[in-house]
Amino acid sequence: MLRYTVKRLLQLSVALLGLSLLLFAWFKALPGGPENQLLPENATAQQREALRAALGLDEPIWVQYADFLGRVVRLDFGSSLSSGRPVATELADRLPATIELSLAAMLIAVGVGIPLGYLAAKRRGSWLDFAAVSGSLLGTCIPIFFLAAMLKVVFAQELGWLPTTFRLSAGTEYTDVTGLRVLDGLITGEFDVAWDAVLHLVLPAIALSSIPLAVIVRITRASVLDVVGEDYVRTADAKGLKPSVIRGRHVMRNAMLPIATIIGLLLGSLFAGAVLTESVFSFGGIGSFVYQATTERDYPALMGFILVIAVFYVVINLLVDLSYGLLDPRVRVRK
Amino acid sequence: MALLEVEDLRVAFGNATAVDGVSFSVEEGRIVGLVGESGCGKSVTSLAVMGLLPKGRGGRRAKAPEPVQAAAAEPAPGAVKAAAAAPQAVPAGGGRRSRGGADVSGRAVFDGTDLLALTPAAMRRRRGKDLAMVFQDPLSSLNPVVPIGRQITEVLERHRGLKGAKANQEAASLLDRVGIPDPVRRLKEYPHQLSGGMRQRVLIAIAVACAPRLLIADEPTTALDVTIQAQILELLKDLVEDEGTALLMITHDLGVVAGMCDEVNVLYSGRVVESAPVRELFARPTHPYTVGLLGSIPKLDLPIHEPLTPIRGSIADVIRWKDGCAFAPRCDRVAEACVDGEPPLIGSAHAHRCVRAEEVA
Ligand SMILES: Nc1ncnc2c1ncn2[C@@H]1O[C@H](COP(=O)(O)OP(=O)(O)OP(=O)(O)O)[C@@H](O)[C@H]1O
Ligand code: SF4
Ligand SMILES: [Mg+2]
Repeated sequence: MLRYTVKRLLQLSVALLGLSLLLFAWFKALPGGPENQLLPENATAQQREALRAALGLDEPIWVQYADFLGRVVRLDFGSSLSSGRPVATELADRLPATIELSLAAMLIAVGVGIPLGYLAAKRRGSWLDFAAVSGSLLGTCIPIFFLAAMLKVVFAQELGWLPTTFRLSAGTEYTDVTGLRVLDGLITGEFDVAWDAVLHLVLPAIALSSIPLAVIVRITRASVLDVVGEDYVRTADAKGLKPSVIRGRHVMRNAMLPIATIIGLLLGSLFAGAVLTESVFSFGGIGSFVYQATTERDYPALMGFILVIAVFYVVINLLVDLSYGLLDPRVRVRK
Repeated sequence: MALLEVEDLRVAFGNATAVDGVSFSVEEGRIVGLVGESGCGKSVTSLAVMGLLPKGRGGRRAKAPEPVQAAAAEPAPGAVKAAAAAPQAVPAGGGRRSRGGADVSGRAVFDGTDLLALTPAAMRRRRGKDLAMVFQDPLSSLNPVVPIGRQITEVLERHRGLKGAKANQEAASLLDRVGIPDPVRRLKEYPHQLSGGMRQRVLIAIAVACAPRLLIADEPTTALDVTIQAQILELLKDLVEDEGTALLMITHDLGVVAGMCDEVNVLYSGRVVESAPVRELFARPTHPYTVGLLGSIPKLDLPIHEPLTPIRGSIADVIRWKDGCAFAPRCDRVAEACVDGEPPLIGSAHAHRCVRAEEVA
């Protein structure tokens, strides 16, 4: 397992290095060079030269790349062109909201999707199976934006059961530890804050969970149907084991292999949906930040965003690979 | 009374009859063979006894499927008219693992209890403990993601209440008993790290873990190399003889039967057509199908150019047993009497199901 992990980590660094090269090339290829984005249009040639020198753009290209890499590693993405604040700070302010929302959505998707998919498989052909399958079809068709708006109108505005916007009720005092409000509330013992944060999370998280939930229900159902027909499940049955043991140790442990892969892929794709959901619920995550950076061609901000997202993808991939190694002994390096 | 008495066991998958009234018995401590060609219902019989068949629709137990009327079909050769009836009693070869469950009827009396009448929970308490099974394909029959040690200890925990270190110790000694070297280290390994023969030994260890009174082995060596086959059979034989365990040996290999079994039941199209002590069967095969089976094995003492005589036709050519002898379409001795209703089982110690056996012999 250790060798497997080290190998994965090495592969991962290579991937990140490749990505940094790509980004660097992109940065260099910006129309007229990055200094044009930073200078007023009527800048003089001296100003231009001075800025190029300041940015190190007169150095040999490999020095520039090394310099770029050094800054990236120190999380120094420069300052946002629109706000003037360091990009790293901007991201650090907003990412936790998106992470919290994504995690909550995934929790719902996994917590509901796997049991539901299992039941659908076990009662194949029943009304429950039918409902789960058609419901998951529906889940993948409804646009997230529409679903988010519907949930908001019905449960927040009409019924008034849940808050409409933001991460906490106005005027709530809270202590920032991780930036994940629910977690912070639990850590600091401010349970009322944690609960308030949960209430604010419910609707956006449900909206965001629709697609992963639908996918997980179907993949679980298919995976369980596959595994239930395997000879080793019959062997487990022939041992007279209790149904709960057969379900956990023999069916689900094998059925989890494809499910784990899908969960990893879904986590990555959640960010796209998060941008939309956040805008409906004014959730204050990276959604609005990215939108603004794109329209204003705020390259440092975009670069920082892309790098952070890339690191997320890579880390998620690593986690999936590692969990795969844990779940499936055949994947681990043979002794 | 025998340890296991299977009486008139019938299993149908939807409209397809897989087992059509099988009866046989296994005495305490004996090795009994169940032989027949592929698709004759050997596995289904054993799975039914173990209660491992997927459940059929609701409580509807084995409603006998309607026979298909002989309508337009050509008259069968040899003036056997009824032979055209019910052509699709058993689907040829394919159609395994169909979606629908199995409808099971009949009795499988084990030590005085009809296993088929037990509740699922009561059956689970016996499976793996009083009666156990070894399957054909050792790789697919072991869970690939659970260490083999756990796959052994879970059955010890379930039926013998052994846990933790005690269970591990017992598992190691079981592996030792089935001839796996370095058992303590092996406990932590996964099925893919073992050879085919080792895996089958593990499955055998699991099956004998709770000292069952009846062991069912369904073609336990067909997936193995020839050299390994003999070792595994030897191991099985030793184990059951040591413990006085009864063994129901399912095979299509008459060599295995000759080498291991005390008695043998020959199955054809879901029904026993001949049953006898092994020596008796080999010395005086009575049913034409058995004669054919014996004629189709290569004999070392025959001259090389002597052709083997395969049984003509295939198991797909079939008549329902209640209309007449299911073997009739393939039988050289077939006559009108053969398809005039259900052929009875004749004799007791050496019984056969052929209406013409006496007159021809
Ligand atoms: N789950 C199932 N659904 C439908 N038909 C089945 C099922 N299992 C077995 N059958 C059919 O029942 C018949 C008997 O099958 P069985 O597996 O008992 O044969 P067998 O004697 O064990 O053959 P083999 O030597 O190939 O193992 C076959 O025609 C088979 O197609
Ligand atoms: S009953 Fe008739 S058809 Fe059947 S085996 Fe005997 S002789 Fe052949
Ligand atoms: Mg079989």
